[in-house]
Formats: sequence, structure tokens, C-alpha cells
Amino acid sequence: MFGPFRATNPLSGGLLWKIPWRLSKFQKRRHRLRLRAVDSVVATLDTALAKRGQTLEAIERWKAEMPTEEEMLPKDKYTMFDRKEKKYRKGIHKLPKWTRVSQRINPPGY
Amino acid sequence: MSFFRITLHRSAIGLPERTRGVLQALGLRRRMQTVFHPAEPQFAGMIMKVKELVRVQEVERRLSKGEVKAERTPEKGFYVERAVRRM
Repeated sequence: MFGPFRATNPLSGGLLWKIPWRLSKFQKRRHRLRLRAVDSVVATLDTALAKRGQTLEAIERWKAEMPTEEEMLPKDKYTMFDRKEKKYRKGIHKLPKWTRVSQRINPPGY
Repeated sequence: MSFFRITLHRSAIGLPERTRGVLQALGLRRRMQTVFHPAEPQFAGMIMKVKELVRVQEVERRLSKGEVKAERTPEKGFYVERAVRRM
């Protein structure tokens, strides 16, 4: 029961997965703020170039392909496609470096 | 002539070499460092590569290092927020 060889979950064999399967409400809020920060950077670049009558392919592609934070479905904000998962979805926090990469779109139909 | 005021907000530790190379090319070495670059497509493209890591504003002129520091420095001295009655 007690002592160094007690039967705790990690010791009694098997894998104890410590990463929660979903985000907490605080993680979700911080994630939304990060998404909005990226949106504001893109908007700043776009307006600055538009004033000079110029544009950039990367910005045009981003605007055409990527939804903004308001346009995204909660499903796409907090989960992402994974072919190995049940129901083909896993939490976005399983993505390596998920707070510093953009993962917004998923395969259609999933 | 306007400029992009770019502040490195998130570190690029553990990110690909290409990403860190872009930050180096922008002249960003440490977090909360601020640099100014002309508002041109060339620099906008570089910022797009690191848009998750930086905060960007469009400003009219390039501020010197001292002016940027002065913005962040609090005023000298102190003030009493509320007088407390002495017992």
C-alpha cells in the first residue's frame, strides 16, 4: 500500500496517458486569442500593402484558403483530423508545437 | 513611407531551421525585441512566414532603440494611490 514499491497506476504496468484528451476552457480561450493574433498580423500586412496598391501571393492565398477565428467551427478550432483515431478526430493539443503553428483546415467530410 | 514594427513575441526554440532563419533575416534575436522594416511585399512575405511568433504594427517612422525603450520604461518616482488614515 505504502512505500517505494506501492502499486500505483504507472508502476502496475501499462501506459498511463497523462495528456487529457480535450482542452480545458482556459486552454481554449488562450488558443482563440492566439488565432486572433495571427488574424490581426495578416490583416495588418494586408492593409499596409493595400495602401500602396500592392499585394502578395502568400497573403492572397491565406485569405482565400484559411478561415478567420470567427468563421471557424468549434470542431476545427479545438480538434484536428487524424486517420488513426476513433471518429477520425484528436485534440489539437496533440499536434507538436501546437501553440506556434497554424492548423485551421481539415479534410472535407471529416 | 510606412514601416512594419515587428516584435518577437514567441520564441522559435524547437521550430524548423527555415523559420529561425527568417527571424535571423528580420534581425530578431530574442523575445520582445522590436525591429522596423519598410512596409514592402518583400518584408510582408518574411513576416507571413513567422506570423505565429510576432506582433506587427504599421507605423509612420522608424523609432530609435532609445525611443522604444522609453515607451516601456515606467515614470520615475512614486505616487500615493490613496491616503490611509493613521491610527
